Amino acid sequence: MNKLILGRYFPGESWIHQLDPRGKLVAAIYFIGILFFAEGWIGYLLLLGFTLLVMQMSGVSLKIYLRGVRPLIWLILFTVTLQVLFTAGGTIYFDWGPFTVSSYGLINGVFIFLRFVMIIFISTVVTLTTKPIDLTDAIHALLRPLRVVKVPVEDFALMLSIALRFIPNLLDETQKVMDAQRARGTTFGEGTLIQQMKTLVPIVLPLFVGSLKRAEDMADVMEVRGYQSDKPRSSFRQLTWTRYDTVSIIIMLLLTAMLMLVNRIGAYY
Amino acid sequence: MQQNRTLFLIEVAIFSAFAFVLDIIPFLSFKVWPQGGSVSFAMIPIFIIAFRWGTKGGLLAGFLYAILQMTLGTPYILNWAQALLDYPIAFTVLGFAGVMSPAVQGSLKAGTTKRFVGMVTIGVLIGIILRFVAHFLSGIIFFGSVLEVGDWYYSLWYNGSYLLPAFIINVIAVAFLFHKRPKLVAGNEKKTA
Repeated sequence: MNKLILGRYFPGESWIHQLDPRGKLVAAIYFIGILFFAEGWIGYLLLLGFTLLVMQMSGVSLKIYLRGVRPLIWLILFTVTLQVLFTAGGTIYFDWGPFTVSSYGLINGVFIFLRFVMIIFISTVVTLTTKPIDLTDAIHALLRPLRVVKVPVEDFALMLSIALRFIPNLLDETQKVMDAQRARGTTFGEGTLIQQMKTLVPIVLPLFVGSLKRAEDMADVMEVRGYQSDKPRSSFRQLTWTRYDTVSIIIMLLLTAMLMLVNRIGAYY
Repeated sequence: MQQNRTLFLIEVAIFSAFAFVLDIIPFLSFKVWPQGGSVSFAMIPIFIIAFRWGTKGGLLAGFLYAILQMTLGTPYILNWAQALLDYPIAFTVLGFAGVMSPAVQGSLKAGTTKRFVGMVTIGVLIGIILRFVAHFLSGIIFFGSVLEVGDWYYSLWYNGSYLLPAFIINVIAVAFLFHKRPKLVAGNEKKTA
């Protein structure tokens, strides 16, 4: 389970850690958005430089970030390969049937690779430096305008935090049941697909039943403590917007301006 | 009524978390393709909620699962239309299995096993076909944008290759689970009564 570093918070004191989760989330989504507008070498280098700078500032070692890329490396390479093989244009180095390796394709491949890696890095920065519970608060705060159109934002935020809270528990429990079945001699990952599926039923059944039971208990407890989904609630944790958050948003805008400028310059070359 | 609403919220939340967990545990899912698309039990919790609470519950659970996948998992995002189709839309529409919810619960109560299995199959089929449509469309966008060879049958072949086995496995698993533990689907029925 150690492969799963996403959603795993790294405690720290860095500047990035201390930013308001709302601002951080908006900035990250915004950054992913402008990634798609980058054209040409200079634009990509600018954004890559920015990504690396932010990663450096988060105070989390590069190794952790690279671990986040590893499970995705095959799909990235697959896309890049397709891109390289099927894009024609520029100088052609190699040609076999429908496959061509051209300068245009290679450049595009590198760009797509960079874009993927930057999306992963930036979203990892957010999840590594923000507690999941803060992220839920941020999502809650950002969705609040939707209340006007009768979207039950409070309920949704509650469900999101319950889901986040239960993922580690459910993981542990599933492992436990699997270990119990192993102790009885079950082997996983062997035999035909149907056989494998058969071994899984005794695992998920108790888990489903247990979860239903737990949901019921939890609902009862919340009732007893006076939870009412349609009433406004106050929050124990308060999010505070500081000067640094405003600065970070301004930096994002400046970055956009620079990118547009660089795109313009790139067009003349 | 209030009691039921809280229970509803919590059940949907826990089962969405469950769907996410089932998808990432080794041995519990079979990756058919490296870039997403696996045959796993992950859709079962969504279907359970859909049959328990009807379409609304199913849609909500599916949407929440998609959000979890996008924030905690490893989403595969190429462009906005594709991301929307592949995550929020594809998983939310699974909840439409819930349109069969009254029929499933009715036949379970009447004890007609054959009809019950049939209803579950139709429900799961509705959900998976809609999900397939979403992935299929996104596939057309994907192959169309990245490659210039873009054609609809790539998408058909790619998405069908994991959704067809997923469909069979889910029908068997959901019908079997409900058959063994009718409480899974009828639990909240008793509460309202």
